[in-house]
Amino acid sequence: MSRPGERIFRLQHRYAPYLFVAPFVLLFCTFGLYPLIKSVVLSFYVTSGPRSQIFVGLDNFRFLLEDPSFHKAVVNTVVFAFCSVFLQLPLSLGLALLLNYRMLRGRNFFRLCFFSPRLVGMVFVGVLFSVIFAAPYGLLNVSLHGLFGMSLERVWLGDPDLVMPALVLTALWMFVGFNMIYFLAALQNVDRVLYEAATVDGAGAFQKFWHVTLPSIKPVAVFVVVLSTIGSFQLFELPYLMLQNGPGPDEAGLTVVMYLYQNGFITGDLGYASAIGWTLALGVLVLAVGQMRLSGTWKKEA
Amino acid sequence: MGKLLARTLLYAALLFVAALTLIPLIWLVACSFKNNADFFAYTFFPPPSRLTLEKFVGGPDVAGLFDQMPFLRLMMNSLFVAGSTVMVQLFFSSLGGFALAKYEFRGKKVIMVVMLATMMIPAQVMLAPMYELICRMRLVDTYLGLIVPGAVSVFGMFLFRQSMLQLPDELLQAGRIDGCSEFGLFWRIAVPISRPMIGAFCLIAFMGTWNSFLWPQIILHSKLHFTLPIALNQLVGLQRQDYGVLMAGTLLSILPVAVLFMILQKEFLSGLTAGAVKG
Amino acid sequence: MADEPTGKGPGLWESVTDVFPFGLAPFIILVLTVVAGLYLLAATLRQESAGPGGDLAMWTFARQHYVAYDLARPSFEKRHGARLDLQSVHGDAVTQRLRAAYWSGLDLPDVVEVEISRAGSFFRGPADHILFHELNDFLTRPDEADPNRRPLIDRIVKARLSPYTHRGRIYGLPHDVHPVMLAYRADIFEQLGIDPQSIETWDDFVAEGRRIRVPEKRYILNLDRSGVSCLELLLFQRDGMHGKPAGYFDADGELILDNVNAVEAITWYVPLVKGPGRIAASPGMFGQTFVKATLDGYTLASFCPDWKSWGFKNDMPQLSGKMKLMPLPAVVQGGRRTSTWGGTMLGMTRSCRDRELAWKLARHMYMDPQDLGSRFRELNILPPFKDAWTHPAFHEKRPYWSNQQLGTEYIKLADQVPAQYTSPFIEAAKSKLGAVLASCIADYDPRRPDRLEPTVRRRLAEAAADIRRLMKRNPF
Repeated sequence: MSRPGERIFRLQHRYAPYLFVAPFVLLFCTFGLYPLIKSVVLSFYVTSGPRSQIFVGLDNFRFLLEDPSFHKAVVNTVVFAFCSVFLQLPLSLGLALLLNYRMLRGRNFFRLCFFSPRLVGMVFVGVLFSVIFAAPYGLLNVSLHGLFGMSLERVWLGDPDLVMPALVLTALWMFVGFNMIYFLAALQNVDRVLYEAATVDGAGAFQKFWHVTLPSIKPVAVFVVVLSTIGSFQLFELPYLMLQNGPGPDEAGLTVVMYLYQNGFITGDLGYASAIGWTLALGVLVLAVGQMRLSGTWKKEA
Repeated sequence: MGKLLARTLLYAALLFVAALTLIPLIWLVACSFKNNADFFAYTFFPPPSRLTLEKFVGGPDVAGLFDQMPFLRLMMNSLFVAGSTVMVQLFFSSLGGFALAKYEFRGKKVIMVVMLATMMIPAQVMLAPMYELICRMRLVDTYLGLIVPGAVSVFGMFLFRQSMLQLPDELLQAGRIDGCSEFGLFWRIAVPISRPMIGAFCLIAFMGTWNSFLWPQIILHSKLHFTLPIALNQLVGLQRQDYGVLMAGTLLSILPVAVLFMILQKEFLSGLTAGAVKG
Repeated sequence: MADEPTGKGPGLWESVTDVFPFGLAPFIILVLTVVAGLYLLAATLRQESAGPGGDLAMWTFARQHYVAYDLARPSFEKRHGARLDLQSVHGDAVTQRLRAAYWSGLDLPDVVEVEISRAGSFFRGPADHILFHELNDFLTRPDEADPNRRPLIDRIVKARLSPYTHRGRIYGLPHDVHPVMLAYRADIFEQLGIDPQSIETWDDFVAEGRRIRVPEKRYILNLDRSGVSCLELLLFQRDGMHGKPAGYFDADGELILDNVNAVEAITWYVPLVKGPGRIAASPGMFGQTFVKATLDGYTLASFCPDWKSWGFKNDMPQLSGKMKLMPLPAVVQGGRRTSTWGGTMLGMTRSCRDRELAWKLARHMYMDPQDLGSRFRELNILPPFKDAWTHPAFHEKRPYWSNQQLGTEYIKLADQVPAQYTSPFIEAAKSKLGAVLASCIADYDPRRPDRLEPTVRRRLAEAAADIRRLMKRNPF
């Protein structure tokens, strides 16, 4: 290979990064920035069509604050996010701890097994579980009936009080195994030396867990928490498919993104939909940054 | 002995959770091979003599999956769209991640902040303006209309940046001294070393596109262009709900991803965990 | 580090990685993509090129409609020398795509079928900007062929224009009448001594229901608990009672969801589906659970609009000769004996390239008596064009339905079908009604039945207040 001249060499080095990120920047400006800005503009209008838009300033946002459906959507979404983080993650961690047992046989089998639900996409999980929760012959009712003699008539997805538990259960099924992988990897990377030191100091199993394990896996834990939170707030496809393309009885399955979709694509007011979207985005942003700041892992360095 | 008890409990717990995890999937398989009458009669599998393929290919008085939709075509659509998207994403994201990891240049901070911000914004905000854009570019109802907007993977860029930060600078310097072009550094050094991360990313990106629903539903018009999620949603229709056919369709739809995962298990899991631990 | 795959000679794999350094996973995906791409290329080349869109583009969402229109297409194209691009679009996708296309101003069809529950939401906005073109002119113009004939608008079942009318402008041509009857197991009715002739009001019906009820085993009626489809049609049936309309909106577009008829309807409905005195079960109105319930005799009767009757024969052939249809029991003696459920309209979009041609298309697809007759034989759907009803296909005896003349029975009820006024807020209204029903059912305590009515009244008032606030905000 011939040596290129020194000057070309340095030029290459200087301009290469710009070229490398150029595709991303280009695509982003077209398909990211332009629609984003357009939807910001839209959020200040009430619209019913491309030529019938009326500027209303902040009125969309003011109405949002009073809109009971929006409140319902926010409550549903927050409840779901809360359950996702505080139910799923301890379970994932627990499962990872179990799998981390050194002499365990068949670890690969279990790992594969727990991970498999994640492979089924959210769309298909929605379809599958809409049938599992169906009454009276869905899997759940049949099992409960067979094991505990419970009624076959319980309509999980038709009862406003049971919709959210059904959604949470489905999400649990889907994600506990997935997050467990992260935790398992983290656990397996904890320095053995620390444990030995702790044993020498006379620490019991629980203390080892509290003082060695938890701090060591903190970065991964934060990563998982933030990811779960962001993901939960964007929940749409799962309830949409499980509840047959609707918000469910008494809007029990209405999430913020679903409400956005309804307003934008069913009612046709893209302005209001954009306002909802931006409110959600700001909320998620604040929450995520807050979480990272709180756990001290927010790196200023880019 | 205490230890024996503990171990038994451990295995019992693990097996219990494994059962809970697998049962819906087993049920999915079972329902795909039962006829309507047996659907209610047997919880899981009927006796082997009663297994039937009629949910797939149709029976004397039952419209099967393949009767109701051109399934092979749909599968190919999904495969093509998901595969192409992954290829494009892989190339651009790894290139971009490499630049972000190993170079200092003006605007780098801006880009990173912007990237972070976009990950928090629900894509649905941009649905209608994006649709308008795709229309203007005459990409409606085309595969490109699905692939091009999806060619940007911010998640991927972050992933690759993280992994390539680990790349020893000396290696790159040595490459430069050897007369390697900057792109060559990327192609010949950075990429081969990042293979685990690439494996993980590929599977995640593939799964993401394979399962995407909302955007394809809006963009794709003709039945022959549909991807599997859209086609399946049509079965969850207002009137004719045949659970067996629905389950059969779901089963076939998740098979490719499952097979891909089986083949690439080790790569994927090691790449994923490497990324997570460092991240 | 990626594992080197065994089975490939080291030389081959290395040369592959030279060209494609990303590793095994991406390589496999690349191969799959290429294979799929080649398949699609071959498939596309094999397809006859449909040619760039026709002179008119028409979308329809129901597969059966598509089949029917596709059959009628060649004769249309020949007669008018125009090409028709007929597309079948899935139900929900129609709404999404129409909206998005409307927004971008591109890719709009000329003529499109819209379902009744979605139609109203397209009537939002200033009149000139509404997506659909008014059809009042077309409907009221005199007949070219026969000046003595009354204009079309007088020959349609008037009530069916209401769901597609807003502020006096008619935006859609109705596809159907959809009267509702009760489909019941005649054999079991006979066994139990229920005489449908003697049932004239809902009170009569409920009394029989109580008589023959076997908890967990047999109920006389199938009612939906988790959706409003049944409640809705029962509500519409009450139109005109107490001198007031019944439904979501009145003819002026005002919300009437909280009026006396709605309160009464829900208060009457809830105890029928819940509690020890219930006479209805809710196995679902469609699909396998519905089939099983009907076959087992778990529910004896269910609401059957014309379009649903076809499904019986298809899914339950073994009940041939055992099923029969009866008109709905009236709410009060001498009252209306039917209601309506579902519907489709044909709309002409504002961007339609040739309105006269589109109107000819509408007439061709919707009003040809031969076609309508044969469609009725296939799908049992009653069109709203009274001229077509003289076709013999509408009066044939159906062995499945114990030799009743299916068409004749539905036609008898056609003029009683209640109006269904709409509004751009129809979907919010439907959703709220569903929410109110669900919460009233959930909170209903059979031991304190007196609590039900005030609860219903209060919840309806709240729901109505929400919708009115939404409506007030609408500046159009």
